[in-house]
Amino acid sequence: MRYLAEGHMPFNQDGVLKSAELVRAFLVMFLEVLLVVKKVRQRKQDGTLYLMAERIAWGPEGKDRFTVSHLYADTRCQKISPDGKAKIQLQLVLHTGESTTFHFSNDSSALKDRDAAKELLQQLLPKFKKKANKELEEKNRMLQEDPVLFQLYKDLVVSQVISADEFWANRLGDTNHADPSLSNNKQEVGISGAFLADIRPQTDGCNGLRYNLTADIIESIFRTYPTVKEKYCENVPHNLTEKEFWTRFFQSHYFHRDRINTGTQDIFSECAKQDEQGLKSMVVQGVKNPLVDLLSLEDKTLDEGYGVCTTLPSTSNSNRSVKESSNSAIIKRFNHHSAMVLAAGSRKGETPANQASETSNTDGNSRDSVFFQPPVKKVKLKEAIEYEDLQRENRPKTVALNLKKSDRYAHGPVPLQSQQYTTSQDIINSVNYIQHEMVNYKPNLTQVLSSTTASSAIAALSSGGVLMQAATQQAINQMVPSEVQGELKHLYAAAGELLRHFWSCFPVNTPFMEEKVTKMKSNLERFQMTKLCPFQEKIQRQYLSTNLTGHLEEMLQTAYSKFHIWQTRRMLRKT
Amino acid sequence: MLNIEGLLVHFPYDYIYPEQYSYMLELKRTLDAKGHGVLEMPSGTGKTISLLSLIVAYQKVFPLEVSKLIYCSRTVPEIEKVVEELRKLMEYYSKQTGESNNFLALALSSRKNLCIHPELMHANIVVYSYHYLLDPKIADLVSKELTKKSVVVFDEAHNIDNVCIDSMSVNISRRTLDRCQTNVETLQNTIQKIKETDATKLKMEYRRLVEGLKEANVARETDVYLSNPVLPDEILQEAVPGTIRTAEHFVGFLKRFLEYLKSRLRVHHVVQESTPQFLKDIFDKVCIDRKPLRFCAERLRSLLRTLEIADIADFSAVTLISNFATLVSTYSQGFTIIIEPFEDRTPTIANPVLHFSCMDPSIAIKPVFQRFQSVIITSGTLSPLDIYPRILDFRPVTMASFTMTLARTCLCPLIVGRGNDQVALSSKFETREDFAVIRNYGSLLQEMSAIVPDGIVAFFTSYMYMENIVAAWYEQGILENIQRNKLIFIETPDAAETSMALEKYQEACENGRGAILLSVARGKVSEGIDFVHHFGRAVIMFGVPYVYTQSRILKARLEYLRDQFQIRENDFLTFDAMRHAAQCVGRVIRGKTDYGLMIFADKRYARADKRGKLPRWIQEHISDGSLNLTVDEAVQLSKHFLRQMAQPFRQEDQLGLSLLTLEQLESEEMLKKISQIAHQT
Repeated sequence: MRYLAEGHMPFNQDGVLKSAELVRAFLVMFLEVLLVVKKVRQRKQDGTLYLMAERIAWGPEGKDRFTVSHLYADTRCQKISPDGKAKIQLQLVLHTGESTTFHFSNDSSALKDRDAAKELLQQLLPKFKKKANKELEEKNRMLQEDPVLFQLYKDLVVSQVISADEFWANRLGDTNHADPSLSNNKQEVGISGAFLADIRPQTDGCNGLRYNLTADIIESIFRTYPTVKEKYCENVPHNLTEKEFWTRFFQSHYFHRDRINTGTQDIFSECAKQDEQGLKSMVVQGVKNPLVDLLSLEDKTLDEGYGVCTTLPSTSNSNRSVKESSNSAIIKRFNHHSAMVLAAGSRKGETPANQASETSNTDGNSRDSVFFQPPVKKVKLKEAIEYEDLQRENRPKTVALNLKKSDRYAHGPVPLQSQQYTTSQDIINSVNYIQHEMVNYKPNLTQVLSSTTASSAIAALSSGGVLMQAATQQAINQMVPSEVQGELKHLYAAAGELLRHFWSCFPVNTPFMEEKVTKMKSNLERFQMTKLCPFQEKIQRQYLSTNLTGHLEEMLQTAYSKFHIWQTRRMLRKT
Repeated sequence: MLNIEGLLVHFPYDYIYPEQYSYMLELKRTLDAKGHGVLEMPSGTGKTISLLSLIVAYQKVFPLEVSKLIYCSRTVPEIEKVVEELRKLMEYYSKQTGESNNFLALALSSRKNLCIHPELMHANIVVYSYHYLLDPKIADLVSKELTKKSVVVFDEAHNIDNVCIDSMSVNISRRTLDRCQTNVETLQNTIQKIKETDATKLKMEYRRLVEGLKEANVARETDVYLSNPVLPDEILQEAVPGTIRTAEHFVGFLKRFLEYLKSRLRVHHVVQESTPQFLKDIFDKVCIDRKPLRFCAERLRSLLRTLEIADIADFSAVTLISNFATLVSTYSQGFTIIIEPFEDRTPTIANPVLHFSCMDPSIAIKPVFQRFQSVIITSGTLSPLDIYPRILDFRPVTMASFTMTLARTCLCPLIVGRGNDQVALSSKFETREDFAVIRNYGSLLQEMSAIVPDGIVAFFTSYMYMENIVAAWYEQGILENIQRNKLIFIETPDAAETSMALEKYQEACENGRGAILLSVARGKVSEGIDFVHHFGRAVIMFGVPYVYTQSRILKARLEYLRDQFQIRENDFLTFDAMRHAAQCVGRVIRGKTDYGLMIFADKRYARADKRGKLPRWIQEHISDGSLNLTVDEAVQLSKHFLRQMAQPFRQEDQLGLSLLTLEQLESEEMLKKISQIAHQT
């Protein structure tokens, strides 16, 4: 097992075959190898391909290690060589953009081997893809949205003060804790309206078309057109292979919306019919909102025979040209497509027809009811005549600030000094004392300042007065060049981040934490050496007299002493 | 409680828009003068509630001057909204005055409940559709007895001339004649039966007819009834002519008339003639005189009454024919007869139709202007104002267009005249099939779909044009690219299908996915559906929506307008196109808190003769810099606009500028400002 984990294979010089069998047995047992394909060439080298639970690997023949090994999570997609090509290949494209090509070279079963690998990858990749993508996306988003975080990332990770994993370790954790509802019931992802556009065919140069299908697109097709899914379940793999199925799909009039149903024994002609049925039933159900019901828009149309006859395109099918009916087919299909995409996104597993019937039953909004106004209508009418700005706003609409720790927001970070810490009993006592003082207060009128002195004191303390000049804050602002200020800000942010990591280790109660706190201390030291010291030197060179880094050093010092205390205690406990 | 030149008006809101005050002022002046008015007020500035508040107050204070408000609107939802606003006003009244409401308001919104005669007489407010007043067939049943001291309001009146014309035009096909034949046979059989059982009934009728239509005549002279344009004055003074006085004779007469019409439909080429020509021909061919023809409608009505026929709807064909007979013999002007042997598009299929077309909208509306003391024509888009009095032939005392006071410019009209490749964009006939134009239109929509949040509505000039463009866009993959940004829904000729698409469109706007609705100017969507707030953040008008000019009926109408009203053909066509364009783009702005882009994608909009016909409240926001933009420039301006609009907009921002408290309203300075809102013409 130890061998295997390190990627070595116990090859025996005497019986290669036997030991290969053994290796395979080992692999299957310990690394969850799902598929082994021999005679696979990579970079013109023969070898064996292994598909495992979490990674794909390839080792050259006769060597005892994997020279190629990719996590599925790092893989973006797989591509296969078109049928009919002399070389039967499978290519893996990684998120980094690199790619690896495997050439299946077993004369008798190359195609079968490749397809087996492809099928397996097809099942495995999507599982990892979502996970990897989600995390990457999340990190990317956080960095993009938060420039401070991005700067921190640059200061700490890019300059290699801490590793990326350490950086993200409690960041991502934080966000998950912050909004557990979000992570638990994640939102249903809708379908892109243009998923059919993504499979635009490309010509392959020899009178053929190539369609690129991904698992996502297939899922979109199934969710939008349940009838196609039905057909798929009925026919694949008993009657057709998957490939044949999709080939027929793309050839069918069903996919090409402008083609008219010619009534051939195309398996999708039934789909079109069912779609039409669905569309019809949706139309027959009518609409819930009476304000968009065009049928009941006119109070009274003119009687038959009256009115100016405007030449409208005749709707009977007999005298429409082929082009016209193909045009109207496109329009119908677009409406249907959009409705289906909308339905698939809004409610999973419920066909829109069901939806409509359900709602129309429950709210009693039947078209024939003349005598009572349906509630939907009433609400919509009220909405339509409302002028919100003409009415006095009764309830101010505000967004409530959601604070996790409101006291922090109110007071800001306050240095915690143990000797000054007051218990609630102390506070109560002092309040009592002050109350007591106030009760017994007697003004000592003989020692009161004269009015002239008082007013001159007030003048001196007012803005512009003698005592109010030379505000130190302003002086620092002006003394220090803005570039140094910016640098200092970054230093503060970085130090703060590191210190946060450091302090979050306390109380240290697991071996993992012990390890981490030690590492964090060394991170802090490294930070001081590589970042803080050069900065100090720099400001000294610029003859800036003010002690800009004093507070930073103080903070680091506090951390070191804390670490020291913890370490000595630990030593004591151990001995 | 507002003080409008001495009239105290209860207004059911805490604040008021300056233009509402201005509108009420003009309205009151019109009522004081007992005259008619044309008022254009932007949509979403609370026109309806201003109208209702003022007229109700007027009625309460001067019950002898104005005793009834007749409020006409076009669509059922519009009517229902008016009723809802009225309800709100009434609730406010009873809360303010503390007394229970003694106002009777009545809404007719379906033909089913037409049994309201007495109630209609007593109601203080009647809300119904245009047809109840403008269609003589219904007006005679419903509105005949409405008091003279009524104020009639036609809301959403930008298409009122077409409603008038529709109500007076008749189309007769072979099928109509066949059904009419059956009707006549039924009549004959019924008469035969009655003659055997109850001959006195027919004799009574005969006597009544001999005495003439005195009743109606007296009523009209004493000004009790709204006159019926299908029942000309002269008829009332005479007795029904002897040739059609008995029931059998009349049926025989109808048969002859029917045979004549059948022979006229047997044509192989298009025939167009005036009404006098038609009358001469009918006299020459079958010896039918003008006089009995004029009595035809009234005579049939009398007969149907006598025969006690319950379901008049079964006799719609013969009613149609007799109405035609009366109209054709009554009006020597304002109508034309066109007989077409087949549809233009399908010359091989014989389908002869006789179009009897009204070309003069003033004929149908004349009785309304004559009878009621004040008629108010109002809409969000009535520009240019002066054309309505001309084509409807009346003299208004007030004509005003109101601007929209805005604390922030919430509408952004842009004229896109060029593609990024400098190709001129236009829907004009010569470039209609032009690939470059279609492609540039596509890229405009595609780019807008990427930057506009939620809903976009696009209008095309006709259904055919839209179909062709959609097909081209599909082939070029433009639609698929748009689908990456938004879902696409498209209007179809089927109303039910379109309703569903509309609802889905709204759903997609609601849930944040965003959608595009492709629609047609002059279509049902453009006339009846509002796209408030996120349901329409941008509207794109592809091309100038000119009416299909090849139609013979339209040509005849244009000629008539030129000869009778001195309105040049092009002026009218442009006016008509621009009012529909204004309707389309106006659909997205429904109030001051709303905002939206209005993109006119045709270089012809930049010309003064087009631009000048847009409503003032849109026109004044078109800057010289936005007259001939490329797609890219329009996108840049739109981005800027949308970013500004996305900022929070609070009530405080509006107060004092576009929203006033009572105190603010009463200040001298504000009143001066308000007087500039109304633009008199």
